Amino acid sequence: MSYALTVDGLTVDFNGFKAVDNFTTTIDTGELRVILGPNGAGKTTLMDLISGKTTSTSGEVKLFGREITRLNEHQIARAGIGRKFQIPSIFRDLSVMQNLEVSASGEPSVFKNLKYSITQEEKQKIEEVIELTDLSDVLKSSAGDLSHGQMQWLELGMLITQDAKVILLDEPTAGMTKQETMKTADIIKKLKGKHTILVVEHDMAFVRDIAERITVMHLGKLLAEGDIDTIEKDEAVREAYLGSGGIH
Amino acid sequence: MVENRSLGQKLDWAVYITFFVVVLCLPLLTDDVFWLNRISKFLVFGLLGLAIALSWGYAGVLNLGQGLFFGLGAYMFAMSLKLKSTTSLQQGSDKPVPDFMVWNAEPGSPTELCCIVPGSWLWLPFQSQTFGMIMAIVLPIVVAFVVGSAIFRLRVSGVYVAIITLALVLLVRLLIIDAQPITNGFNGLTDLGWLELFGIEFDPYMYETYYLVAVSCCLIMLAARWLVSTRAGLILQSTRDDANRSRYLGYDVAAYQIFFFVVSAAIAGFAGMLYVVAAEFASPTFLDISFSISMVVWAAVGGRSSLIGAVIGAVLINSIEASVSETEIFKEAWKLIIGVIFIFVVLLLPRGIAGVARDFARWLEDKHLLSTSKRG
Repeated sequence: MSYALTVDGLTVDFNGFKAVDNFTTTIDTGELRVILGPNGAGKTTLMDLISGKTTSTSGEVKLFGREITRLNEHQIARAGIGRKFQIPSIFRDLSVMQNLEVSASGEPSVFKNLKYSITQEEKQKIEEVIELTDLSDVLKSSAGDLSHGQMQWLELGMLITQDAKVILLDEPTAGMTKQETMKTADIIKKLKGKHTILVVEHDMAFVRDIAERITVMHLGKLLAEGDIDTIEKDEAVREAYLGSGGIH
Repeated sequence: MVENRSLGQKLDWAVYITFFVVVLCLPLLTDDVFWLNRISKFLVFGLLGLAIALSWGYAGVLNLGQGLFFGLGAYMFAMSLKLKSTTSLQQGSDKPVPDFMVWNAEPGSPTELCCIVPGSWLWLPFQSQTFGMIMAIVLPIVVAFVVGSAIFRLRVSGVYVAIITLALVLLVRLLIIDAQPITNGFNGLTDLGWLELFGIEFDPYMYETYYLVAVSCCLIMLAARWLVSTRAGLILQSTRDDANRSRYLGYDVAAYQIFFFVVSAAIAGFAGMLYVVAAEFASPTFLDISFSISMVVWAAVGGRSSLIGAVIGAVLINSIEASVSETEIFKEAWKLIIGVIFIFVVLLLPRGIAGVARDFARWLEDKHLLSTSKRG
């Protein structure tokens, strides 16, 4: 079984409102999956459910066949899921290097972290990420002083040093300039294959650039799934989300 | 600490070493033992500033009830010293009995620690000085662990932590005052014996006592500094900046918060014990709100994100307070002055004295870089 992530009948009920309703999908190991859907479709809630921020009412989430539905956030993270938030979520008062050092520790326990040393393996991971995200010039700056794009890349980099097998990206290009968006697309493409990636995104140019398979959500349910051409031609998708103009 | 590791870190160490040298050499400069005793109390307050900096500056947890742990530590150890005082041995029993228990006892009660007043049996193990010393650390740790677990597992944060800790210190203060027969209520525990360690009796007005306090302070400062510079310390700071991010990186944030909350409480408990050695009393005033808030002011003025800054802030403010309160006008106005200083620091120097020093070091380094690059 090569599924990285299996979501089966996932439902969350907020006092009668089902933000995610009996949602089922499987994502292959190394796949890059884009999730589309109009506002309120339940995309972010789906990520909340997978990463443990919100507890589901029913259904289950499996990571490489291991059930993770009922675990806490940090346990889910240790199981191998990394999450990037829509608003850059980094440690603003720490330096860029310290941000990466925090994310690189393979050791969750307080007592085992009462040491200075950083393993060779962790060091190497950090160096790879610095190169990938092009942050070598700002390693000593406070993360809060970075540009918006750099913050997003740093957060993305932290998920890689964290060694996340499955990465959830919530609108990674929100608020970015065109150049920044292109660079983000480059970074994500480089991660393809090494990590399994789930992206929520609205920017269609960006989606076309990176997408392999697309899942469309509507009112918490799965509406369609397939490659970009199939989705663009799908009648239900057009009706629900895209209007008569098609994807633009 | 982030900004410039080279010069900033050197400056940091220079400050630590200077501080240690000054503190350890002070007795060589004076034979005024009363003055030395006063300084040793200020050093104890320095530890309280450090405990606040650890929880507030590094964990982002503002504890307005640090006096609780200080008070518990002080009372636990004072109980042992009370039983060692000569008056406790003169109450008509061959075993020590605190004088105030005799005053509070019902007529006809046996003059024995087990049953002179209800609950006095709690004092029995404190006949051992070692037991008192251990409890002075262990009780704050246990209380902090229970309180911290409740607060942090429920993800209470920000001002609510401040309110809970504030309410807690008041509650315990009331309990202590209310348990008059076994705590001597408002009057606290006075007329204590001396700490006896390695065959030395620590008279508070002796050089040995000053050194006991000073060396303990220096060691704790080093230990705390080591603690925050480990990866656990770094992860703790990350939870202060963005607890959710730390969670999604796989850290059990509450565990880190509880651990450092407990360490901070242990330091405060230890400080309470040292204070009893130097000041020879324990009283419910240790659990006054104003005292706990003073600690926060010391840490804020010194710089809450710097451990040594907070220590220096505490020593400095207390030294100023001690000298100005000898003048009649300032004595009344002191609370006002300290209030104004606090507002001034919060508004203009949010990182306190330590922040100013770091900015200065950074400025020096920039200047240095500039001049070398020009030359090059």
